[in-house]
Amino acid sequence: VTVAGSHPFSTGSDTCLVHNGSLSNHNRLREQLVRQGERFQTDNDSEVAAAYLAWRIRDGDTLERALERCLDDLDGFYTFVVGTRDGFAVLRDPIACKPAVMAETEDWVAMATEFRAIAPLPGVDSARIWEPAPATVYAWNQSA
Amino acid sequence: VTTARVKASPATPNLARRNSVFDLSTMTLREVNRLLHETRAGDFLIKNPRGLHAIACGLDGDLNIVVDGHAGYYCAGMNKRATVTINGNAGTGVAENMMSGLVHVKGDASQSAGATGCGGLLVIDGNASSRCGISLRGLDIVVKGSVGHMSAFMAQAGNIVVLGDAADALGDSIYEARLFVRGKVKSLGSDCIEKPMRTEHKKALRKLLDAAGLGGEVDVAEFKRYGSARELYHFHVDKAGAY
Repeated sequence: VTVAGSHPFSTGSDTCLVHNGSLSNHNRLREQLVRQGERFQTDNDSEVAAAYLAWRIRDGDTLERALERCLDDLDGFYTFVVGTRDGFAVLRDPIACKPAVMAETEDWVAMATEFRAIAPLPGVDSARIWEPAPATVYAWNQSA
Repeated sequence: VTTARVKASPATPNLARRNSVFDLSTMTLREVNRLLHETRAGDFLIKNPRGLHAIACGLDGDLNIVVDGHAGYYCAGMNKRATVTINGNAGTGVAENMMSGLVHVKGDASQSAGATGCGGLLVIDGNASSRCGISLRGLDIVVKGSVGHMSAFMAQAGNIVVLGDAADALGDSIYEARLFVRGKVKSLGSDCIEKPMRTEHKKALRKLLDAAGLGGEVDVAEFKRYGSARELYHFHVDKAGAY
């Protein structure tokens, strides 16, 4: 374990990712992404997921579409939370072993692995709180 | 933990008084749980749970506990005899391994609700997420909403009643637990099949619905029953090629 594996991972100029889980096809995917011009700083599997998203977004995908593709191209287990310049998204793998809870008010949206982290947020008592479903992309875009 | 230490604690409430209030914003969780373990009966209100884990865990007494807000993981786990009501959502593993008593979640429950539960009743007013009743061993679970994927996985004994829908792979590798679902079942897991609703099952279901406070509101005729096809119980030599 080294601090090089600390989250969040940022591979694009405006993409950062936090990953709870472990990917099993990251070595092969890293090789493919290197050929696509992605650069890596670590041998961490989560960085591969971040690079995959950066590549897809650079190629024209929306954040939502890029995450939908993760369901086909990433093997392993994961709960992702992704931030971009104007977007925020959450995705869990189809088995959804890793916990997640979300909350949304008029002013903010939040995601955590446990409600304890969301509890201190302002206005949480009136927030809509739910558990994100497996293999489902939850995405928000901040309008300019 | 000695009694003297409990008495020395400045935040110790008067346990002789009914309706004692424990405030988790001023008391530690360990302190609250310890006090609940040391008392045999009474009504208690736990305020400001704020998603803390293992609230009201391991109770063994004629206690009536209200958790006033959202609870974290493993709330009311290993419960014996006590009634625990959660005025909010419950995190992963609510009422896991409970032995008896009643746990009532007024909101939604996260993954693995009632996991490995041996007895008693777990009522969830909202939805339960994936793996509800995993490895169930005799607990009865009534979910008024829907349940997530892999619910009742390897469930051995007890009942799961779902008024809403069930997601993928319901009852995968199920043993002898009984499943009653009113809504749609997205898919059944390995070795789980629909079974006829005979009079005995309707009676049992009626009893469960009544216990969950749904007497008269819900018609047992609207439910389908699911259980084990019992094809995975024994090794079949003609399937040896599959290994």
